[in-house]
Amino acid sequence: MTQAEIKLCSLLLQEHFGEIVEKIGVHLIRTGSQPLRVIAHDTGTSLDQVKKALCVLIQHNLVIYQVHKRGVVEYEAQCSRVLRMLRYPRYIYTAKTLYSDTGELIVEELLLNGKMTMSAVVKKVADRLTETMEDGKTMDYAEVSNTFVRLADTHFVQRCPLVPATENSDSGPPPPAPTLVISEKDMYLVPKLSLIGKGKRRRSSEEDATGEPKAKRPKHTADNKEPIPDDGIYWQADLDRFHQHFRDQAIVSAVANRMDQTSSEIVRTMLRMSEITTSSSAPFTQPLSSNEIFRSLPVGYNISKQVLDQYLTLLADDPLEFVGKSGDSGGGMYVINLHKALGSLATATLESVVQERFGSRCARIFRLVLQKKHLEQKQEIPKTPDHAPSRTFYLYTVNILSAARMLLHRCYKSIANLIERRQFETKENKRLLEKSQRVEAIIASMQATGAEEAQLQEIEEMITAPERQQLETLKRNVNKLDASEIQVDETIFLLESYIESTMKRQ
Amino acid sequence: MAEVKVKVQPPDADPVEIENRIIELCQQFPHGITDQVIQNEMPHIEAQQRAVAINRLLSMGQLDLLRSNTGLLYRIKDSQNAGKMKGSDNQEKLVYQIIEDAGNKGIWSRDIRYKSNLPLTEINKILKNLESKKLIKAVKSVAASKKKVYMLYNLQPDRSVTGGAWYSDQDFESEFVEVLNQQCFKFLQTKAETARESKQNPMIQRNSSFASSHEVWKYICELGISKVELSMEDIETILNTLIYDGKVEMTIIAAKEGTVGSVDGHMKLYRAVNPIIPPTGLVRAPCGLCPVFDDCHEGGEISPSNCIYMTEWLEF
Repeated sequence: MTQAEIKLCSLLLQEHFGEIVEKIGVHLIRTGSQPLRVIAHDTGTSLDQVKKALCVLIQHNLVIYQVHKRGVVEYEAQCSRVLRMLRYPRYIYTAKTLYSDTGELIVEELLLNGKMTMSAVVKKVADRLTETMEDGKTMDYAEVSNTFVRLADTHFVQRCPLVPATENSDSGPPPPAPTLVISEKDMYLVPKLSLIGKGKRRRSSEEDATGEPKAKRPKHTADNKEPIPDDGIYWQADLDRFHQHFRDQAIVSAVANRMDQTSSEIVRTMLRMSEITTSSSAPFTQPLSSNEIFRSLPVGYNISKQVLDQYLTLLADDPLEFVGKSGDSGGGMYVINLHKALGSLATATLESVVQERFGSRCARIFRLVLQKKHLEQKQEIPKTPDHAPSRTFYLYTVNILSAARMLLHRCYKSIANLIERRQFETKENKRLLEKSQRVEAIIASMQATGAEEAQLQEIEEMITAPERQQLETLKRNVNKLDASEIQVDETIFLLESYIESTMKRQ
Repeated sequence: MAEVKVKVQPPDADPVEIENRIIELCQQFPHGITDQVIQNEMPHIEAQQRAVAINRLLSMGQLDLLRSNTGLLYRIKDSQNAGKMKGSDNQEKLVYQIIEDAGNKGIWSRDIRYKSNLPLTEINKILKNLESKKLIKAVKSVAASKKKVYMLYNLQPDRSVTGGAWYSDQDFESEFVEVLNQQCFKFLQTKAETARESKQNPMIQRNSSFASSHEVWKYICELGISKVELSMEDIETILNTLIYDGKVEMTIIAAKEGTVGSVDGHMKLYRAVNPIIPPTGLVRAPCGLCPVFDDCHEGGEISPSNCIYMTEWLEF
């Protein structure tokens, strides 16, 4: 783990979970896997606190545990998983585009809580949605459950590994830590639940819901008495599936930029068909015949078979080499060259950085060396007459893998810088923020007790106009820094995917 | 009685006669004759007389002395050249020969030294002499600005020496290249757009968005923005710069001999393209472009908290 990655993990853990978890987490990242007592001793925190911190980390899938020989349980932190916390907004946004607000909230809840049971998720999401709906309307549990089932079917959420059911419970003392297993086919199996109910508002004021609050209350207490039907079956978000989706998105938009909309739609169809059949780390998708593609095109696209064939031929012949032809049966078998696509995207990222940082002329030289692989700078013939064979030629070349790694390291440090700057800006204006929060609280409570307009006005004027301006600026800056973090994370995603794909092939 | 030894000279041992015979022989064999040939032809002449005759012819500039792997060759000299070189000695003639052989690429003074085995001072003297006689000229090479190559006076220097159309007096005309670059790109762009808007089937659309290097060349010539005449290779170098800008892609197709613009049975086609990704996320943050990135850390002189680039960027 490089210094930059550790720094970034430390900032993220601190922001999301607090000081103690940060201390334990960073210690584990630095030192690798360690047993409980050693952690407590090295970090100087009490055993109790270490246990709580580890609970939090394990719940969020940031730390895993293993039973070693002699019954020692060792805990190991997963640095790369911690860095995924940067990408949470992108996951949530993807869920929103695919499954609208319901999906968005489900994924958000799962990400923020690490692991949850389905019923808990459904209830919470329904409540939250009901909050935002108009007066008198509520969210039905069934709708939320449907969305949840769809998420599970497309593999965006998956079951967490379970304690295996042991029949021979008297074979000896139970192991200090259970080994969790889950079988492949169970991973996306949704338990049969009959969740009936509607979402509830947090504060139901007198004006809305005439008889409903009273009707809901008995049901609510009744729910508490019943055992939760799916206890022990926890769900988590499947990050790899999201990553596969992002990768597909990047490929489709690259094709749209280079060619036209229709070609990108064809590529999107092909990728969708290969979603389940191809593993995410394969270099090529399974071959798809042109007939199959024709049948699976979205309904709105009524292009004839010949036109589709022409597009496929054009895609296969394009110098980009994203699509390749692997055979002629079934009207032509086509594959998508995933590894090459990721390589092209990574190379384009490198070129873009060179162009922005050093200018167009340097970008030209960079692309030239990329294309020609090894180039020699024009050398003057040396003036000394004794030409030993040791006259060396210096060749220039671009090593994409190491350039990608170097750039990735820079990305991590950049995000750490952005987060630090954001925290600094917030700290600078802490006094002002606290004041504005107090004023808001006062106004809210006065509104609840029914105050006059004049009194409210007076309270609001406690914040002067320049201070308001300052607050506006602060809000804008913090948003800008946040947005920038997400943009840099996009670069990180492309580079990491490329590096992973290349390492797997070696 | 003492005998007087009289050397009887053969009747045709007259030196002038010998020289004429040698010249005739040389004219018979324009590639040159060896000493052996002369000997065979006139076996009754002694070696010394032969040598005298040959030396006279050489000094008069009517014969050329060449070295080959079999020995020395004597060649009849061009009468025109013979007139020019009157008054120069052998060394100068040798140097002149070497320079002439270098053609329009010219030859560097050190190479002349190697080929003629003459010392440096001699070479310099001779070169100065020849230059003053306006027989050779020095041309500054564009590849290495300190190097001077020598070539015959009336020859046009080769493109590799002067840089061709992109150099005017040894200066690289970057503005000119830029202007041509933009014009070519605009031409290709409009062609691609018209192809896209024609909304025909994709094959035709794609093929019509391509332009051959010949078409681009004709367009640029008709535009008339260049005062120097440009050849098709020049245009291809400009199109290559566009490829390295990532704005244009090229394919080579096989074309029938005789179609306009085809070279050796294939044609180069160019097409304007868009970049496959927009400028990446890292360069939108100030850290991606920061020149002092490596010195920046929290608590130091340069840190994220007091970064001036960030402050400027936030005020945007």
